[in-house]
Amino acid sequence: MDKTESIHLLMVDDEKKFLDTITERLKLKFFEITSATNGEDAIKAAEKGGFDVAVVDLQMPGIDGIKLLEILKKNHQYLEVLILSGHATVSTAVECTKMGAFKVLEKPCPFDDLVEAIKDAYERRLKRKFERDQARMQKLEALAMGQSPLGILKEMAKMEDEGK
Amino acid sequence: MNANDTINYINAEGLQFFGRVNASISHELKNILAIISETSGFLNDLTDLARQGEPLNLSLLGNCNQSIAEEIQRGFTTIKKMNRFAHSVDVPVTEIDLMDTLSLTAQLAGFLSTTSTVRINADRKGVGRILTSPFLLQNLIYRILCLASETAGPDGEISILVSSDTDSGDLMRIHSPVPGTWNAFPTPKIEEAARILGIEMSLTDDPEQLQLKIPYVSNQIVALAKVLQL
Repeated sequence: MDKTESIHLLMVDDEKKFLDTITERLKLKFFEITSATNGEDAIKAAEKGGFDVAVVDLQMPGIDGIKLLEILKKNHQYLEVLILSGHATVSTAVECTKMGAFKVLEKPCPFDDLVEAIKDAYERRLKRKFERDQARMQKLEALAMGQSPLGILKEMAKMEDEGK
Repeated sequence: MNANDTINYINAEGLQFFGRVNASISHELKNILAIISETSGFLNDLTDLARQGEPLNLSLLGNCNQSIAEEIQRGFTTIKKMNRFAHSVDVPVTEIDLMDTLSLTAQLAGFLSTTSTVRINADRKGVGRILTSPFLLQNLIYRILCLASETAGPDGEISILVSSDTDSGDLMRIHSPVPGTWNAFPTPKIEEAARILGIEMSLTDDPEQLQLKIPYVSNQIVALAKVLQL
C-alpha cells in the first residue's frame, strides 16, 4: 500500500497508551487515522465523514463498543467496523457479527492480523459501494429511457434519500 | 433460610462473584499485554526503519522502553491484587482489617470500565478487627459499588468514610454526589449478603448517603462459623 491509496481509519479505545502506540504503528503502514478514547468522541468524528473502517474496543465507559457499533452502522451505511477487544467472548462475537461487525479480534492481536483484517474490511466496503453504484447506474439508465430531465432529477433525489 | 441454605447461597453467589472479578482481571491483563505487544512491535518497526537508513529517534525509543516498564509494573500490581483476592476464600470466616478489605474490593471494582472513582477515608482511632466472611463481605461491597456506579457513572466519584464510633463495630458511610444513586437500593442480593453478615444498612438523612453498621462480631457470623465447624 502507498500513500495515494491510504485507508481512513477511526480507532476507538479507552486505553490511551494502546491507542497511541497502535496508531503510530498503523501510520507507518500508511493508514490515515483519527483516534478517539470514548464512544461520544468517536460518533462526533464519524459525523465528519470520510472513514473507511472503524476499529472499536468493546468495554469502554459511557457508550460501550456494542452501542457504538450499532450507532456507527446505523448512521454510516458503508463504514466497516472491526471489534478489537480484550473482553470478547464467543457470545459477544456472535452478537457483534449479527449487528454488522466485519470481524471480532481478540487483544492482544498479532499486528499483521489486524492489518489484514483492516484491508479485508476496506475491500468489502469498496465492493459494497461498487455494487450500490452499479445498481444506481442501472436504475438511472432505465429512468433515462422514459423520463423528462426534471423527472430524472426527482428520481435521483429520491434514490439519494433512500440511500440506494 | 437454614444453615445449609446459607452455605449454598454463599457458594452459588461466590462462584458468580469470583467469575465476574476474574473476567475483569483477565481483561485488565489482556490490555496490559496488548500495550506491551504493540510497543515491542513499534520498537521493531523503528529498528527496521533505521536499517533502511532512517535516523533513530532516541527519545521515542526511551518512551517505548518506559512504557513497557510501566506496563510490566501494572501487570505485577494486578496479579498481586488477583492473588490477594484468590486467597480471600482460604478461610470462610476469619478476622479481617476492614480498610484492607475495602481497599482491595474498590480496586477490584475499578477493573470494570463502568465503575466510578472510589475515594476511601478512615476516621478512626484504633484499628478494629472484624470477624466476618471476607469473601462475602467483598461481594457485598463490590455489589454496592457497582450499584452506585450505575447512576454515578464512570466519571463520578463515590466517597467512603469508615469510622469506629461505637464499641461494637465500624461504620461505613458511602456517599455519591449524584441524586438517585440509591433508588434501586437494596437489591435482593445485597440485602441477603448483609443479612448473613449481620450488617445493618440504612439510608441516612443525606439521601445520597448509605450507611453500613459492620459489627466486630455478629451472632450471624458466629452461627455461620459453627455451621462451618471452625
